[in-house]
Amino acid sequence: MWTVFKKEFKSYFLSPIGYVAIGIFMLMYSIFFYLTTITYGSVFMGDLYYATARYGLLIMIPLLTMRMFAEERKSGTEQLLLTSPRSVTSIVLGKFFAAVAVILITLIFSIVYPVIISFFGNVNILTLIVTMLGFLLVAMAAISIGMLASSITENQIIAAIITIVVLVAPWFLVDISTIFSSIDLIDKFIKFPSGLISIADLVSLLSITVMCILITIILIKRRKMVK
Amino acid sequence: MIEVRNVTKKYGSTIAVDNISFDVKDGEVVGFLGPNGAGKSTTMNMITGFIEPTSGQIIINGNDISKRPRMAKKDIGYMPENVPLYYELTAKEFITYMAELKLVKRNERKEQVEKVIKETGLEEVKNKLIRNLSRGYKQRVSMAGALVGNPDVIILDEPTVGLDPKQITEIRSLIKELGKKHTVILSSHILSEVSQICERVIIINKGKIIAIDTPENLEKSALEKNSISLTVEDSKNNMTKLKEKIKEIDAIELVKDNEDGTKQYIITTSAKVDLRKKLFEILPKEEIVIFELKKTETTLEDAFIKLIDTTKNAKNDGTEGKKEIKQDNKKKEEKK
Repeated sequence: MWTVFKKEFKSYFLSPIGYVAIGIFMLMYSIFFYLTTITYGSVFMGDLYYATARYGLLIMIPLLTMRMFAEERKSGTEQLLLTSPRSVTSIVLGKFFAAVAVILITLIFSIVYPVIISFFGNVNILTLIVTMLGFLLVAMAAISIGMLASSITENQIIAAIITIVVLVAPWFLVDISTIFSSIDLIDKFIKFPSGLISIADLVSLLSITVMCILITIILIKRRKMVK
Repeated sequence: MIEVRNVTKKYGSTIAVDNISFDVKDGEVVGFLGPNGAGKSTTMNMITGFIEPTSGQIIINGNDISKRPRMAKKDIGYMPENVPLYYELTAKEFITYMAELKLVKRNERKEQVEKVIKETGLEEVKNKLIRNLSRGYKQRVSMAGALVGNPDVIILDEPTVGLDPKQITEIRSLIKELGKKHTVILSSHILSEVSQICERVIIINKGKIIAIDTPENLEKSALEKNSISLTVEDSKNNMTKLKEKIKEIDAIELVKDNEDGTKQYIITTSAKVDLRKKLFEILPKEEIVIFELKKTETTLEDAFIKLIDTTKNAKNDGTEGKKEIKQDNKKKEEKK
């Protein structure tokens, strides 16, 4: 897993994708910093992370995940991976955690604004950490969805569109039935910014993540049989 | 040692590989030969564990590729068709990554990578991005990726496609060199290549093995008639009477009337007869001057075409059969 992780993480920064993803995060984050924290003169950072998660992840996640398996399949390099002695599980996890690592980097960058604010008032560090944990969990679930999308098609654009649709659709589908709120990732982030870790939200985010990773592994293993 | 036992691969109702079995011994160089779409790549993909056979068993050094993939794949170096590479890496980074993927130990890794870079002649370009390398170098990087970690079995899918003649001879001599220490399977549709490099040839057509033998034996088996190419100056036109003088001759055929007054003939006899000596003795007596006399040799090409044709004829006597094959091909194309 470490081998694949190292290579994938490096690849994010050998191509512009890693920088673009971090740039988009910082752009969104800064705009919302102005719109929420500065405009209201508040020390509460929750709204800032919520808004960035809601809109920023929508662009970042497809960027990070669309090429994961789609590109390998298209260029044939998947043959190199799948004929190596490494297991499918370690390959999938390596790729997954490489994307998670990029999100972690953005979160480290995001500390800049809380530090600035702390000169003007008290920032609740514990609440901030819980908020960032929530952000990370939502991002992980979204990455797993994006990875699954990337593993079912050879076309990166299609993978990206599937990811965006799956992330956005629940926002509107909730109007039809409240059932859809259970697959709305952002809905599960609402409580984290107030410093609250809800077991229900935690479990559902983690289970979405694990489920998508498992389906990805199964799909790739299965493709060996039908290819 | 590679053992392939009754392996079949089906795609829906189309059969890509039909119940094939063969062994490759340690240190042997085996060529896979067949027309396009014969099932060469499918077979190689199954041996390397990239795709799963519908039925049958593939055993690499005692490990079943489906049941103990980690052990079996560790012994294989694979260079796939179309040379897939990570273009954003440099040649050296790519080879190092392949070494890591293949579980080469950390302390041996650097040494191994340097070794294959030297073997494949990549020293000058090792720090260049693969994206910027020429086709020939890309091919070598892919080959280096297959060789790194010193695997027992090396599988090369069309290793010389798209190379210039100089690169082809270089790659061929590299493969020959590899054959001394490793078991090598290579596929190709270039026959001269296979007959030069390989000790044994497996000819496959429409998913079935139609011959396994040494290139020499295959060439011999194709030999039904001996033919001699003869260029002569024959002012009195005595060549036409030659057939009456030498009874072994089956046919004399005028091929070319050269500008300098010489004529080129092809004389065919049955396979057992060698007329060269007799011709040298008799022709001067007939006042025919020999300019050139050469035995034309059958090549692996002839053997190949003959084998492919015989299987075709055996299978499809009527037009209906041909139609079916066309449909099969269409289906295969759709699959792709």
